[in-house]
Amino acid sequence: MITVVAVSGLVTVQDGGRPGHMHEGVPPGGPLVPELLARANAAVGNEEHAAALELFGELTLAGANGTLVASDDGVPVTLGPRDSWRVPGAGARVRYVAVRGGLDVPRVLGGRGTLLGAALGGHEGRALRRGDVLGVGEPGTLHQAPLPAAPDLEAAIRVVPGPDLERFDAGALDVLLASEFRVDARSDRVGIRLIGPALRRVGDDLGASSPMLRGAIQVPASGAPIVLGPDHPTTGGYPVLAVVVVASLGALGARPVGAAVRFVAAG
Amino acid sequence: MAVTLEPFGDTAWRARLPEGGDGTSRRVLFEWLRALPDVVDVVVSEHHALVVLSPGTPLEGARDAIARILARASTAVPDESTRPQLREHRVLVRYDGADLAEVALASGLSQAEVVAIHAGAAYEVASMGFLPGFAYLRTLDPRLVLPRRATPRPRVPALSVAIAGPYTGVYPFASPGGWHLLGTAVGFAPFDAPSGAAMSLGDRVRFVAQGEEEAT
Repeated sequence: MITVVAVSGLVTVQDGGRPGHMHEGVPPGGPLVPELLARANAAVGNEEHAAALELFGELTLAGANGTLVASDDGVPVTLGPRDSWRVPGAGARVRYVAVRGGLDVPRVLGGRGTLLGAALGGHEGRALRRGDVLGVGEPGTLHQAPLPAAPDLEAAIRVVPGPDLERFDAGALDVLLASEFRVDARSDRVGIRLIGPALRRVGDDLGASSPMLRGAIQVPASGAPIVLGPDHPTTGGYPVLAVVVVASLGALGARPVGAAVRFVAAG
Repeated sequence: MAVTLEPFGDTAWRARLPEGGDGTSRRVLFEWLRALPDVVDVVVSEHHALVVLSPGTPLEGARDAIARILARASTAVPDESTRPQLREHRVLVRYDGADLAEVALASGLSQAEVVAIHAGAAYEVASMGFLPGFAYLRTLDPRLVLPRRATPRPRVPALSVAIAGPYTGVYPFASPGGWHLLGTAVGFAPFDAPSGAAMSLGDRVRFVAQGEEEAT
């Protein structure tokens, strides 16, 4: 088991997600940055989707003597009996901390990750607090995988245009692909909000809601885009100008508040 | 008939559904699409169906099978072999909502009439979404149809029974929301962790005013 000695900011248990329940209104979840969860897990010999901690802030842990832990920097650390191990914050960038054996929180609807809006999964469905104690799974087989690369924070984010182009001004897609946006401080696992030139729409949002997907670039009336994250509502009423390809989701999710984002058409 | 399929990113197809379908026909479509190989998620809303493929499945390769299901569903006549297992839910409501007086005023009715109209109708799950276990229920009596509140509440209490536009629904969790609150569901959990959502596409729902249970 591990004990939270100190925590500042938002720290939750996350794993590979719980796909297959969107028809019940349950978003897929999963790590904001799959590459970094995989890196932390690889560093302690876990499979890439093992339940670990996702950090927006700083965390200090203690654990049983010999507990093997690692952050997404990929350097494993063996805890001693009286050690407390501090993972410093990385500005507003998200980080991951894995424990050999994975965190043994209950599997709910196929996943162990936390869905805060529904108080579902993870550790009691909530963010971690000082004094929380979390179980650790049996170590099992050692997965010896090379450390996956961290995502490129400079790379253009690849998108598939559409499907709601007819609900936008004719030039809106060009504006999306030609402009630089910045990550808004109000971003979270539900959506990454971007600051930049307005993406102009036509018509209103009075129609019935439509299915949504992680990576969809929704544009409300303000014209400021929101890229849906792992905990997105499964339906929504705003038009979608383009959808981020799966391979680029981590490179977007890893960007801290204020970082630059450019989009490029996939293909 | 022509089927419109649009790519939705690099892992999903979105189909535009023909006009005039109901919850039952959309449930049939949902079950058929979900049975296709390499499909991980299907969401059917009133005008669209989204089919999400498992990671690594080439998008183009799945297109024909999805198009065939859509064409078949649009012409299918429900019979014993295709009729879905729809459930009926009876939801007890304490009509104590913060907007009951405002709704009555806006619709030119008494509060008792609003309650009688809301509880007097049978509803159908038109789609699922927004929050885990949230069902968009149709069709609200036209006398109660109002636009959303001009300013959404930052926090609508869990289990609020609310209306907006042609819909009514039960908030499974506390969340921000712009619907008009008529009351509170009693003894009904729209979502619970081990089993998931209580309601499914096409299910039938009736509201019963607390204190009036014996009358029904």
